[in-house]
Amino acid sequence: MFNYYIKLAWLSILKHWGLSLLMISAIGLGIGATMTTVTVNYLMSSNPIPHKSEQLYFVQLDSWDVNDPFDDGENPPNQLTYTDSTNLMKAKKAFRQNVQAQAYAVIEPNDPEILPLIVNARANSADFFTMFDAPFLFGSGWSESADLGKEQVVVLSKETNERVFGGENSVGKTIKIDGNIFKVMGVLNTWQLKPRFYDVSTGAFDETEEIFVPFSLIAEEKVRRSGNTNCWKPSGDGFEAFLASECIWTQFWVELKTQQDKEEYMAFLNAYVEEQKGFGRFQRPTNNRLQTVTEWLEYNEVVADDAKMMMTMSFMFLLVCLLNTIGLLLAKFLGKAPEIGLRQALGASKSTLFYQYMIEAGCIGIAGGLLGLLLAYFGLMGIENLYGDYMKDLATLDINMMVLAIGLAIVSTLFAGIYPTWRACKVQPAHQLKSQ
Amino acid sequence: MLVMNNINKIFQTENVQTHALRDFNLTVNEGDFVSVTGPSGSGKTTFLNIAGLLETYTNGEFKLDGIDVGALNDNGRSKMRNEKIGFVFQGFNLIPDLNLYDNVDVPLRYRGYNAAERKKRIEENLERVGLASRMKHLPSQLSGGQQQRVAIARALATSPRFLLADEPTGNLDSEMANGVMNLLEDINKQGTTIIMVTHDPELAQRATRKIQVRDGRVSELEAVVEKVSA
Repeated sequence: MFNYYIKLAWLSILKHWGLSLLMISAIGLGIGATMTTVTVNYLMSSNPIPHKSEQLYFVQLDSWDVNDPFDDGENPPNQLTYTDSTNLMKAKKAFRQNVQAQAYAVIEPNDPEILPLIVNARANSADFFTMFDAPFLFGSGWSESADLGKEQVVVLSKETNERVFGGENSVGKTIKIDGNIFKVMGVLNTWQLKPRFYDVSTGAFDETEEIFVPFSLIAEEKVRRSGNTNCWKPSGDGFEAFLASECIWTQFWVELKTQQDKEEYMAFLNAYVEEQKGFGRFQRPTNNRLQTVTEWLEYNEVVADDAKMMMTMSFMFLLVCLLNTIGLLLAKFLGKAPEIGLRQALGASKSTLFYQYMIEAGCIGIAGGLLGLLLAYFGLMGIENLYGDYMKDLATLDINMMVLAIGLAIVSTLFAGIYPTWRACKVQPAHQLKSQ
Repeated sequence: MLVMNNINKIFQTENVQTHALRDFNLTVNEGDFVSVTGPSGSGKTTFLNIAGLLETYTNGEFKLDGIDVGALNDNGRSKMRNEKIGFVFQGFNLIPDLNLYDNVDVPLRYRGYNAAERKKRIEENLERVGLASRMKHLPSQLSGGQQQRVAIARALATSPRFLLADEPTGNLDSEMANGVMNLLEDINKQGTTIIMVTHDPELAQRATRKIQVRDGRVSELEAVVEKVSA
């Protein structure tokens, strides 16, 4: 009977093509708008490293001004001072640890034909690549000894390797960065975390850096740091004074395997802060935090409020579209009252007819869903054009979203079809047959 | 066999109560061809609707082939309609979007026959009413008489025990009406019980048994005639 009902639905849609088109358009518009915003929210809020997001922790310590607390005293600062980061690195209490900061550099390719490149860089520790599962095309990251030895080593992104070395295996070759010679240790494969959780301070959806160099080279002034810097008291003159200051500009991540590891590390942080209090620092009440990747993304409101608001509004728009569809379905199905009466006379029960007309509603839902997908595709293209690189890769429909779009369209239309179908099936066959 | 004992049907509106049938008693035997006449509003169609399980009754007892109809739910009534009753209406009531084949197919689908059985029955019954060659035509491509023949083919497709016809020739000219009546007579001769509501005394005379409905009550027409003569 299912195939028979599909055939009847198709005939009905063709016969009332104007009304059907209106319903398909209403559903399509609602689904299109909803899926556009849902897709953006879905990709913004996705877990970028699900298999270990609960083992990676962002470290926060409250070293801020006792008289003017950070974030009104509710939360500790979202970065650490150079002093604290390097102290935590030296303590080496976690399974893995990474101190990092944003940087920038100028690459002078060996080939004089290629113009110098200004690139975004990340200054980080050796563990960075393993902690965050960075995929390597050639070679690997550098070792801890390279960090300690302040070796001039570099890992290139795939794009940078293509631009400087034509895409060949450049491991072991040298490259001139800011006038200094660096040895290439590895080349990353395509790697774009969405969100780029390891550093949301300068934009959670920024592109992956083009080169990676040891954090220890910042102190040597072989690499120029960039990114957000916040100070609550003057840092003094000179770079060394800046490094020793209370300015926060580094981020610190640790990998802890178990809950016990986490508790022990927190105890270590508390002890560290107590120790620092002895040196006149950390005058505020102890407020250390370890936040997992998902907690950290939520804490930083990576999914912007306006994106959530847009999504809510789009669902309300879908509701309006569904209300319109209910009206249109009601008109269509009540117009079929004589046929419904006849089918009852010929042996169809009310439940059979309900099933038949729900299938027709479902067919309209599928058509509306397909139209909605097309509109969502154009909507996402529009968003990408409007916001540029910020939305690159966020404004794409994946298979999950496609299935969701069709599913949402079918469920919505079936929901919209319940009342009209119920009303239509309540017709008195005797009255309909006589009135024909 | 159709047996109605003291059937009452009351239509209740906000202020008015209308007795469509009052203590309606009737027994229709296997193979009868019963014509039902009576003035407009007498309750003929209400009787036919109740007989066809298209309408419920207020009280009384109604048995169709020994089954108490009042005890059936919607599914049971639908099943009984599909298996035991065929309908022929004044307005033909064909589905305009479906061709003749698919129109006759409708009750067979609800019966649950397989494709081969449905095809056999559709072709047989369209052949029986002389329209096998036009099975791919739409109803709008046929004359009124031909449409009524298709309706009869559809009614007969499930081999019903009862054929209920409500003014089956009401929309036809006399020639076409005569053709439809000939067909109904043939069907009755082959064993199908027919109950036909009509305003036309000539057509009513062609039935083997004639009843009249007045004020919601039934009376055998012969008895009425005798009473008037006396």
